[in-house]
Amino acid sequence: MTRTLKLTGQVLALAAVGGLLGLLVWRLTHQSHPPKIGGPAPNFSLRRIDGAGKLDLASLRGKPVVLNFWASWCVPCKGEAKLLEQAWRQYKGSGVVFVGVDYHDVKSDARTFLTHHGITYPIVQDGSGMIGDRYGLTGVPETYFIDRRGRLVGTHIVGTITNQVAAFHDGIRAALHQ
Amino acid sequence: MIARVLAVAAAALALAGPAAACAHPKTSLAYLEGQIMCPTCHTTLDQSEAPAAQQIKAQIAKRIGQCWTAQQIESELVGNFGQGILAAPPHKGFDLLAWWLPIGGVVLGALALAAGVWRWSRTREPDQPEPESVTDPETERKLDELLARLD
Repeated sequence: MTRTLKLTGQVLALAAVGGLLGLLVWRLTHQSHPPKIGGPAPNFSLRRIDGAGKLDLASLRGKPVVLNFWASWCVPCKGEAKLLEQAWRQYKGSGVVFVGVDYHDVKSDARTFLTHHGITYPIVQDGSGMIGDRYGLTGVPETYFIDRRGRLVGTHIVGTITNQVAAFHDGIRAALHQ
Repeated sequence: MIARVLAVAAAALALAGPAAACAHPKTSLAYLEGQIMCPTCHTTLDQSEAPAAQQIKAQIAKRIGQCWTAQQIESELVGNFGQGILAAPPHKGFDLLAWWLPIGGVVLGALALAAGVWRWSRTREPDQPEPESVTDPETERKLDELLARLD
């Protein structure tokens, strides 16, 4: 009887240790790594906040995409909003699609932001920040460029584009021509 | 006349919004600040001055002013930011495990400790018997004589 109890205890203890080790291994192997330039842009399917339904990044395959992460509470995002809208109007004739990803934000505030700044390109909501994490976001705003084949191209812009205008346009051109 | 009445009614309706601020709030900002996380800095709202935290605090204050309950406000924030916005997992469904597993672990540990102590106390070596006298009867007799002389 005592022997059985002892054996059960040992098996349980081993199972617990094994379970914890398994969790550790799972965590280590499932850590997200920031995507590399030239590699595939992490896909997402997120709810739109400028309209109904969802937007799937994969559905834009075949078109160059400018992906801008922003939030209504982010002060530099206010500064670049007008420039982004202008660029969207300038490039949409060439087939470039701008997509705004509203990161860790209150939806109603985001909508107020869009109205206030007259944003007309598609905006999706990343409330939990999961997509931002997949992209290895270090803050907002950040802007990525995706070519027609769904690969990240150019140099992704950390911070506002207002003082990196040349890099911003270079990124769009890279997305257009690759 | 009708136009005037309508204008007054419209003005009253327009003013009704701010005037209808909650007279009997169902929860407090101080309470919810400890229950909700700042999504960008991963601390509770009461420990953060980050812009995202400020924005959520303003949203909570607005909802409290509209007489929302803490649960309603939390539900709205979960819908917006996901479960990670809550500082503690909910007391239902699978999330209950997060509450019961540590308690279960402590109880199991205590039981294992008690069982170990009980087992140890049962299997301990019995007390050593008093050692038998190592002296032979003759020596004992002599010792007794000596002691008697000393008395």
